[in-house]
Amino acid sequence: MSFILKRVGAAILMVWVVASIVFLAIRLVPGDPAELLLSQGGVAPDPAAVAELHERLGLDRSLPAQYLLDLGRLATGDLGTSLQDESSVADEIAHRLPRTLELIAAAALFAVLVGIPGGLLAAMRPGGVLDRLGRLLSALGLAVPVFVVGTLLVLVFAQTLRLVPAGGYVPLAQDPLKHFTLLAMPALAIGLGLASSVFRMTRAAVLDVSQRDFVRTARAKGVAPARILIRHVLRNALMPVITVLALNLGTLLGGTVLVEYVFNYPGLSGLLVDAVNARDYPEVQGVVLVISVLFVGLNLAVDLLYAVIDPRVRHA
Amino acid sequence: MRRVRFAPVLAVGAFALIALTVPILPLPDPLRIDVAHRLLGPSAQHPLGQDEYGRDVLARLLWGARTSLAVAFSAAAAACVLGVALGLVGGYLGRAVEFFAVRTMDVILCFPPLLLALLAVTLLGPGAATLIPVLAILYLPGFVRVVYAGVLGVRSQDYVEAMRALGAGPLRIMFGTILPNVSGPVLVQFSLAAASAVVLESGLSFLGLGVVPPAPSWGLMIGAARATVVQAPLLLLWPCLALSLAILAMNALCDALRDAFDPHALTGAAPRRQLLARLLPGLVPSAGPVLELRNLTLEIGTPEASIHPVRDVSLRVKARETLAIVGESGSGKSLTGLAVMGLLPPAVRVVGGAAWLEGRDLLRLDEATLRKLRGDRLAMIFQDPLASLNPVHRVGAQIVEALEVHRGLPRRAASEKAIAALQRVGIPDPIRRAQLFPHEMSGGMRQRAMIAMAIANDPRLLIADEPTTALDVTIQAQVLDLLANLRRERGMALIFISHSLPVVAEIADHVVVMYAGEVVEEGAAQALFAEPLHPYTAALLRSAPTESGELPVGIPGTVPLPHALPKGCAFGARCPLRAERCEAGRPPLVEARPGRLTRCLRWREVA
Repeated sequence: MSFILKRVGAAILMVWVVASIVFLAIRLVPGDPAELLLSQGGVAPDPAAVAELHERLGLDRSLPAQYLLDLGRLATGDLGTSLQDESSVADEIAHRLPRTLELIAAAALFAVLVGIPGGLLAAMRPGGVLDRLGRLLSALGLAVPVFVVGTLLVLVFAQTLRLVPAGGYVPLAQDPLKHFTLLAMPALAIGLGLASSVFRMTRAAVLDVSQRDFVRTARAKGVAPARILIRHVLRNALMPVITVLALNLGTLLGGTVLVEYVFNYPGLSGLLVDAVNARDYPEVQGVVLVISVLFVGLNLAVDLLYAVIDPRVRHA
Repeated sequence: MRRVRFAPVLAVGAFALIALTVPILPLPDPLRIDVAHRLLGPSAQHPLGQDEYGRDVLARLLWGARTSLAVAFSAAAAACVLGVALGLVGGYLGRAVEFFAVRTMDVILCFPPLLLALLAVTLLGPGAATLIPVLAILYLPGFVRVVYAGVLGVRSQDYVEAMRALGAGPLRIMFGTILPNVSGPVLVQFSLAAASAVVLESGLSFLGLGVVPPAPSWGLMIGAARATVVQAPLLLLWPCLALSLAILAMNALCDALRDAFDPHALTGAAPRRQLLARLLPGLVPSAGPVLELRNLTLEIGTPEASIHPVRDVSLRVKARETLAIVGESGSGKSLTGLAVMGLLPPAVRVVGGAAWLEGRDLLRLDEATLRKLRGDRLAMIFQDPLASLNPVHRVGAQIVEALEVHRGLPRRAASEKAIAALQRVGIPDPIRRAQLFPHEMSGGMRQRAMIAMAIANDPRLLIADEPTTALDVTIQAQVLDLLANLRRERGMALIFISHSLPVVAEIADHVVVMYAGEVVEEGAAQALFAEPLHPYTAALLRSAPTESGELPVGIPGTVPLPHALPKGCAFGARCPLRAERCEAGRPPLVEARPGRLTRCLRWREVA
């Protein structure tokens, strides 16, 4: 129990640090942030607009006052309004976040379904045909950047073979089949690289665990190889695999940017890129904050999952 | 350190060479626009054709390598210098500094990397001037951690202490002594950071948020080619290919460096267990003993030569009898036990001998048949019960597994039998204890649980490999009592492997003394202890603490390694009775007295 409390406490601390950094980042940049955000291509911005932005971002108050005000607003879930169209940042994020999460979940599912069995198969015969093939494919999967995979998928399947649309998004309720068709390509683009890391980690971890004493004990007991692999090796090997997957998923929370851009998928990251391009700081700040909180939450979830898999962790 | 593989170095070197020499190569200006010939295919002047502004694709591709590697290298170098400095300072100077230098890095790790980069681009605008510092900050924690961990590991070591005692200042120690020691991991980290920087740079440039056009960058080229992909798909493929190849090469270099610097990395695959190579002596099974091992010889094949860690070992053990195998580490006693179980490490194989158990030669059985015997007719317990029990399963479940596998008992009946087994090995409150995980038990309790697992199916033969070495003395005595009782009650044969003669004296009926892979003496326990017939046995007895209070006498020298055995007696170099004839050839194992074997030419002078 105290283990869970400690982890949750640490996670809350992390969220506070992240919020503070995002708050400070814009104020630490030399010069007037409002001018910075409004200036386009070296043209000095309209002083009236700068003054207005000052007021909107609360930049006219003292730094501690701004900080308290900001944190107070964040605590109530108010992420401010967009500089572009005055819409609520929180609403926009709530609208788009589920799409990005669905995309990541689909990619993770693919990675787990391909990477873990693949890694197991490869580790059963190190140096064998399957192992070498798997290692080659995973090296490729890790080398080709996700936006290249995406672009090539579009080129082959959408523009040359014309099997699927080049991108877009349709809500599940509107047309389930089309929804999943449109989800498949971006998920695959992310999933290939992800499956490669999961494959490598599974293979390495299984090989490592196979040499431990308790595996010898299981063999001394007369347990069959397949059962040793599943019951004794796999569960102990899963920890590093989960770590790698979680780290990757965390990175993906911000990293779907490229894929969403390639496939014109209206997720959270697309919102972020538009906001960055428009220098819409409240929106950028909101998205960064939400993603970071999710990132911290994901790490927390992994810690707790460890405790389920490995009973020793609960007492650490 | 092992050698770094050559191919990845060559590949990355080629990219670096292109990046460095591209300004002096005879190429068209990568920025020169020629709109009249936009999207034109390959020609003599433009081998890869022209892009959407009529610029030369080959020139842009090669200049792209320069942009990519320049950004990646600058960022990784900046992160490396700063990270190494912070890690050294944090690791060496201690608490307060450590907090600022090391813990603050965790903050950077709270953000997904691409996100942090985007945040910076929003504030600072796109371009290489933003990109390099941002990437440097992203890779900083990796360097700090690697160096910090390295410093902590090295700081307390003797030679650093020695330098401090000699009056070397902290700066000198840090840069002169510690830095060279962590340079391997830092180099690995550098390659990782550079490879990752190439990916991030191209991704950001692809979005138009990295390198600013019209500079040639692979990410920008891919982004731009998307618009004209239908007319000119090759325009898209070239930069994709270049980028992927560059990352593939850099990843391969990372792996190669890691393999070279990481002492834990796996070496080449071990040879598979082969069928017996030679014809064996003693093809007729004997009826008397539970196990009869004849002329067991093991081999480890190394690239240079094959060595034989166990040579020509014969022993037998009857029901209700305890046979002890005694010897120092490296004597081959554990390998002998593992060979009987068919659990030899992959590198070791049987090249001669037979092991008869109930009319079957264990060394000749196929793995599936042997598996049915293991844990059923023959069982083994090991030295370190904590490592030998699976940490993620409850102790009861691990015993149940042995029953399920061999008896096919339903879960319920099996768990009742498992609890009975725990009770038999003297674990109080077995129902509750069966629910514990191995780490929740004490050392003695864990070893009892191991024994319970081993005897759950009433084996005919139990091999115990140093079962009490990891335990303290009082627990040791209890476990020995337990083994002795079980053997008597169940009519098991017990092979007890140990390096300790006093422990063996308590439990053994019969003793085999091994040295450097051979049996050097064998006999009934009492007779052997009373009158050793081999100088090694005598020396072992003298080296053990006695009840009469005589001081133990150590044996000078060490066991010869299996690849450096002398021509004559293996114990010769350490033997007080060594004579010239001892060095002439390997002494035979002779029956000196009835039931007493010794491999000593001068056994009459030992006692």
